Amino acid sequence: MLARYVLADLVRNPRRTLSTMVGVTLGVGLFCGVLFFVDGLSASMTQRAVAPLAIDMQLVATQPIGAALTMTQTVGSPDHLAAGGETSVALEISNTGEVEAHDVTIRSRPVDGLTVVPQSAEVDGTPIVEIDGNPFSHGLGQIGFNLGTLAPGDSRHVGYRVTAGREIRVDDTALQPTYSSRENPIPVAANEPPLVDLRELASRIAALDGVAAASPLSITDLGTSRLTGAGSTASGPAKIFAFDDAYASRDDTIQMVDGALSADGAVLSAEAAAALRLSLGDTVSVRLPDDSTIDLVVTGIADLSRARSLFSSRRGGDLETFVYTANSVVVSPGTFADIVQPAFDRAAAGGGRIKAPPIREVDIALTRGLLNADPATARLETSRIGGDVVAAGSPSNYLLDNISNTLDVAAGDAGTAKRLFLFLGVPGGLLAAMLAAYSGTVLAEAQRREQAMLRVRGAARPHLLRMLALRTGALTAVGSAIGLAFGYLVAAAILGKESLDRANPSSLVASAVLGTVGGFLATGLALYLTGRRSINQEINGDRARHAIIVPVWRRARVDLIGVAVVAVGTGLAVRSGAFDGTPGSVYFGRAVTLNVALLVLPLAVWITGCLLGARIVGAILGRTQPRSTAAVGPPLTSLYRLSIGRRPWSISNGAFIVSLIVGLATCLAAFTSSYDAAKVRDARYATGADVRITPSPTSGRPYTVDDAKVFETRGITAATPVVYELSNVILRSARTSDPANLAAVDPVSYPSVAPLSGSGFTGGGPEAAFRALREDPTAILVSEEMANFLRAKVGDTLQVVLARATEVQVEVPLHITGLFERLPGFPAGADAVMAISGHTAAVPSKNPDFFLAVTERSDRGGLRTAVDSLRADAAGSGGELQIDTRTATLASDQSSLAALNIAGLIQLDSTFSLAMAVVTIAIFVFGLLLQRRREYITLRAQGLEPSTIRRLIALEAATVAVAGALVGVVVGVVMGSYFVMVLRPLFVLSPGYVVPVDGVAIAVGLVILATFGSTTAAARLVNRLEPTELLRDE
Amino acid sequence: MTGDNTIVAIDLMVEHRTSSGVVRALEPLSMTVEAGTSVAVMGPSGCGKSTLLGLLAGLALPSSGTVSIGGATISGLDEASRVAFRRRDLGMVYQADNLLPHLTVEENVGLQLAICEVTTSAGPRQEVARVLDRLGIGELARRLPDQISGGQRQRAAVARAIVHGPSVMLADEPTGALDGHSAQVVIELLVEVQREMNATLVLVTHDPAIATNLDRTVGLRRPIRALESLDAR
Repeated sequence: MLARYVLADLVRNPRRTLSTMVGVTLGVGLFCGVLFFVDGLSASMTQRAVAPLAIDMQLVATQPIGAALTMTQTVGSPDHLAAGGETSVALEISNTGEVEAHDVTIRSRPVDGLTVVPQSAEVDGTPIVEIDGNPFSHGLGQIGFNLGTLAPGDSRHVGYRVTAGREIRVDDTALQPTYSSRENPIPVAANEPPLVDLRELASRIAALDGVAAASPLSITDLGTSRLTGAGSTASGPAKIFAFDDAYASRDDTIQMVDGALSADGAVLSAEAAAALRLSLGDTVSVRLPDDSTIDLVVTGIADLSRARSLFSSRRGGDLETFVYTANSVVVSPGTFADIVQPAFDRAAAGGGRIKAPPIREVDIALTRGLLNADPATARLETSRIGGDVVAAGSPSNYLLDNISNTLDVAAGDAGTAKRLFLFLGVPGGLLAAMLAAYSGTVLAEAQRREQAMLRVRGAARPHLLRMLALRTGALTAVGSAIGLAFGYLVAAAILGKESLDRANPSSLVASAVLGTVGGFLATGLALYLTGRRSINQEINGDRARHAIIVPVWRRARVDLIGVAVVAVGTGLAVRSGAFDGTPGSVYFGRAVTLNVALLVLPLAVWITGCLLGARIVGAILGRTQPRSTAAVGPPLTSLYRLSIGRRPWSISNGAFIVSLIVGLATCLAAFTSSYDAAKVRDARYATGADVRITPSPTSGRPYTVDDAKVFETRGITAATPVVYELSNVILRSARTSDPANLAAVDPVSYPSVAPLSGSGFTGGGPEAAFRALREDPTAILVSEEMANFLRAKVGDTLQVVLARATEVQVEVPLHITGLFERLPGFPAGADAVMAISGHTAAVPSKNPDFFLAVTERSDRGGLRTAVDSLRADAAGSGGELQIDTRTATLASDQSSLAALNIAGLIQLDSTFSLAMAVVTIAIFVFGLLLQRRREYITLRAQGLEPSTIRRLIALEAATVAVAGALVGVVVGVVMGSYFVMVLRPLFVLSPGYVVPVDGVAIAVGLVILATFGSTTAAARLVNRLEPTELLRDE
Repeated sequence: MTGDNTIVAIDLMVEHRTSSGVVRALEPLSMTVEAGTSVAVMGPSGCGKSTLLGLLAGLALPSSGTVSIGGATISGLDEASRVAFRRRDLGMVYQADNLLPHLTVEENVGLQLAICEVTTSAGPRQEVARVLDRLGIGELARRLPDQISGGQRQRAAVARAIVHGPSVMLADEPTGALDGHSAQVVIELLVEVQREMNATLVLVTHDPAIATNLDRTVGLRRPIRALESLDAR
């Protein structure tokens, strides 16, 4: 019976039902939308994180240089010993290579419980008598037994006996036998299977589930001046690579300029070809480490200057750093195995010191489609594949699992992102609950009379409460169902359906349940409690008192307490450095660390600020209350002043909700703008300017220092030349020396092109530092880190070896005039800076490595214009340029939370917030109608023009909108600044705070528009009210 | 409208279209209330008494028939003219006082003068004070409606209805929410003022005792077939 009544009530009052349900729908929609968004984004984060990876996995197959040694171990019978038992062990070590192995040493270090029987060891039947105890691990250094030189094809047989101190199985694990040689000092375990050919290993790996491709790659460093041809020698170090066509075709950073790879020939880097003046069909001579030379026909010329898979460092210290070697040769895997590797063996056997033995690896690309999940889930998949890859190789192989390392960081970032997004979504959720409560209050007001009627007819409080529960349940259930669908659609619209499709289905289901139940409970509770409060009030309560009643929060001074809490919280956070956080880095395998607890502060600022604003609005309006007089002025202004002056809390309650919405929209707009601006600043800092122009190795013309002016074409206001390479100098102080990355820049133009703020120059800032470079030709600026290492200080003289390891290497004395923390434009780090004029004077042949340029316009269109004109001009002059822009840097930013679609989330939040703003204003206006319809009808009966009534409603709604918007903008600006402070670790540079006037204006404008729209609709309704019935009712 | 304030209703009928068909709210009705006289309209619930008052006030329009006051056909006027009529010539009192809750008694009454833009020789303050004193609530002028009793509120409502000197007064059960004594006081005041102002009064009531205070009584029946005149005197 009650249910039927409630249902009929809901159906017969569609406006009331809809206005209440819209709040629930928006709330649940926002909850679900944010959660779906996070699910979809997690999958996107995986794709984004792994996209820039040059190589997913590298299985490094160490091949010892020098002789090829193998060792087998055989344990006699029995191999399972009881305590006191004894057995024999036989070792056979052979040289299967083509060169002698020197200082061949074998070791055996039995585990506890096993002991080598004294004097039992023998080599080729000859007892080892000179060493007591275990001759294969003796002395403090646990030195092995040196068998001396092993000629090619020779073998040695070693035997000994062991005795057990306890029951034990005697095997490789128990005895730990290894061997090494002078050429290969790293111990190798006995019984290791023979080395698998790299190509066969690649085939095995390629067949594994989840592996898209696996190709062999061999790399080796040669010394300097190793390439000759046509009577010229290429100065500087050289590298040899060996890979096949399949490898080259998968890596688009390997660009064949001319010709192709071949089985017997060589592909030269463009720089080497230019230095040697070789073209296709010519012969290049490569001097190998054993000083033998191979002559190879040039079958191709390639631009390798951006080939990250080839030049990413494999060394632990600078893993993945791009270390380019201009003079490079690519040969076939067969040539490498048959000619290059043996040369290393011979060099090693000849006693030559091989600093960097060849690297032989299988580079593996995974099937990216298998990684359509959040980073943690994708990480599980890559771990499985990694395990399979390792199993496919030999025990001596090791895996560089780049993709798993990246996903580890991404998983950490994803966790941070979830917390961040939930916090960014929480205000929306709170807003929805408050909106539901507000609409509940309005609804309850409207139902007071109906409830009174029901009481008169015998309904008791429990009946009314049950009806309220039924009504709330029905409204919230339907609203939640619609909200769930709405949230999914909005998330799909903003994020893209494919992103949601990639999300883990179980995660989506969990989000749907959590969002719906959470939204259902929050909005339902808000609705129910306000209705219950209304039922508990005396039905015939004092109407006037009700109109001027002061809200509970104001009486309890919740706002003032909140301000104190925010002030104390902020003070503590600043004092403890909690806002500083830790920036993330893929290179250091570190996710961003955000102090999530601090996110409470902006939320507190938001609610407290809006309450405080409502207090101020209420107080100001209360002061406008006129004295009672019979001489009432013009009806419109008089009624307006009397209404807002005597019912200020009705206005301030509405203004509070509007200020929450406008505040959130302002905060989100300000945060997005600040985030975008900071990311652009970061990207500009990493690029060094708006545009980085690098002359291509295949360019038909050289670019000198003076060519900076050439680049100042359409769309570019200034360009500056830079000489910079990794480890291009040696810095020597009075105490020590170290290879360093030196940047030679123009001290006049560089400071005007590069964004120097945040570089941390000591003593006088960047102006003083570059003034010193301009005025003093012997000046050098050194990074604080390098200065510490060199134990040098400002004023000290450094000996600087310029153009290190080249034919034109030269040493000059420079003195330190300043220190800096970091410099824009050098992501791999700059250790020192000198004037480019000084560098050119010392090394005249050295042209700039790149140019930095600043564009006329900072937007994307300005960048495009600049890039287009640069390319066109270069093509016209026979030049060829590689152009990097700050937007490209931003797009390829793999680190931290760059993959976060903050703008998308903000769009989602803003969409819901603004929808809520519209609904709030509408509820306020229609609430006014519900509460005051009798007033308006009475005024109509008294002869007041309908237009005056319409304007009266509009004025009150406008007061709500304007007061709410003003408070909201102020609160939003403060709240946004807190968000930026809390999220500072997301950025490289300290983010500036940007308040977008247009974004805020849109939010405020929408609220004003909603006011006018609602009042227009409300005015129509006033005209349609049935006056006879309303005036008669009591 | 002329100086005459005779109310003439001819073949007034109101029907409402609902989902279950056409419902007749007022059977065809003709009546005349001579200028300066008072009429009590009685009848069972649902017979259309309040509907009739709404038609006379120009707050609603009949489905058929006409309402004329002082020769002007109210039911034929546009909304703006009907508003002007109400503002200038009409005073209404309801069962509920319908005072604006955030306005004091004097403001509620003064507001009517402001709406009518009536200029009196004494000025609005004195005029309102005079009317309130006349109704015996002068000392309550600065009270809010909820700070005074129901009878006092209804007197304030009467003050609001008469302060601008309307030629027609309509009252819809003005004493319905009052106790017997208060009801008698209010009705006596209302009739007294009506006679002083020579206004035409139509009053809807259920209470025959109240009706006896007026010049004559008309009864409505449901279903309304005919207008029956019951000479109350």
